[in-house]
Amino acid sequence: MNNILPFTTKTLMADVIHIDYRLIPILGRFGIDYGFGNKSVIEVCEENNINVYFFLEIIKSFHNHQYFPQEELQKFNADVIIKYLSSTHQYYSERKVPEIKEIINTLEKSVDPEHLSKISLLNNFFKDYIVELLKHLEREEKNVFPYILKLEKSISNKVYDVSLIHDIEGEPIENYEQSHENMEVKLSDLKNLIIRHLPPVIRQDLCQKLLTELFRLENDLKDHSRIEDKVLVPKVKQLEKQILEESGK
Amino acid sequence: MENKTSKIQVIIAAKHFLYRLGLKTIISVIGIDPEITEIGSLSDLKSFLNKGYKPDFIIMNNDISDESILDQITAIEFPCRTMLIGDKGQELVKGRFEAICLENQKEIVEKFQEFFFEPESKQEPSTDKSLLSEREIDVLKTVALGLSNKEIADKLCISAHTVITHRKNITEKLGIKTIAGLTVYAIMNGIINPEEVNQ
Ligand SMILES: [Fe+2]
Ligand SMILES: [Fe+2]
Repeated sequence: MNNILPFTTKTLMADVIHIDYRLIPILGRFGIDYGFGNKSVIEVCEENNINVYFFLEIIKSFHNHQYFPQEELQKFNADVIIKYLSSTHQYYSERKVPEIKEIINTLEKSVDPEHLSKISLLNNFFKDYIVELLKHLEREEKNVFPYILKLEKSISNKVYDVSLIHDIEGEPIENYEQSHENMEVKLSDLKNLIIRHLPPVIRQDLCQKLLTELFRLENDLKDHSRIEDKVLVPKVKQLEKQILEESGK
Repeated sequence: MENKTSKIQVIIAAKHFLYRLGLKTIISVIGIDPEITEIGSLSDLKSFLNKGYKPDFIIMNNDISDESILDQITAIEFPCRTMLIGDKGQELVKGRFEAICLENQKEIVEKFQEFFFEPESKQEPSTDKSLLSEREIDVLKTVALGLSNKEIADKLCISAHTVITHRKNITEKLGIKTIAGLTVYAIMNGIINPEEVNQ
């Protein structure tokens, strides 16, 4: 077994979690439920209609951040990649963000009056962050992803209408590439405000929980935007190029 | 202060092992990771200090001496901030020591935080504010209020290049990169008023 990347199609799905519990949310994103008994990765993926090779590349790169097969990943269909990114968005907005919000709210409620103003500042900081994050996700969901799916669909149908060419010429993906905000940096600031600048002993238990969640979300976002920047964007450029060539433009 | 390592040097002087253990626990609870020297008797403490060893903090329990602790310690010159824990002498030692009585956990923790984190006189370890130079605090103030580099340069009569250097140093020292984060820091530390920030 390869110790750095110990996952193959034959690995038991249960072992995937035993090897790296941080992969639990990734499984959830692929729509995999527990109770897989002794089924292997490939069996579970087939049952759930998941591209097993894509699944493996994703869990490997999440497990070991050094491993990032950019070109391999670009070979998967855009709709496969987008489906994963989209369910990740859902995981952020429906699960992680509310969870963290809840911890900060509890912290705010239970802190002594003398520290209240500090926690309220952090709370407002995070609230502003949520607004930005949701806006970021919405832009991808409403503009970027549909555009990409449209490109891929027209290639498979070999139908290239004028409006599509016109869209490509508007350089939406270059635009996205340049304005794709880094959503991790504010989380890192929040972490540092807590670790380095908050007076100690404000509900240590909650602070620890909060920090753990912030670290997790930050890591997850890093992994996520790496796929967007290094896999999705170059992939889209290829698609665009192919369309322009095949349509004779 | 002469520090051989970069860690804070703390002496814990108490006769009973369990007491010293408790003190160490409280220190770690408030988030300090110092180099701790444990001392079990007053004579050891004296000879330690006589050797010219200069800790940053001393925490001393009144069980350290069998005789009246106050008679014993008034003759000693303590080279640093020193805390005396006990139920007597709160008034008597005022001015020379931080004297505390142990009532409940919350009080103890607060006292310890004050002892370690709050500035008292010249030779204190750096607090958050002194982490930044005065000029950097000026720059931070303007950054937190949302001014651009150009505006900051004009306001402080320095070049835009100097502003950028200051900003880089501030970010490095505080570990905070975004303007929103710096604003929170500035308000938390009383560098700006929340009312000054126009949202
Ligand atoms: Fe995204
Ligand atoms: Fe993104």
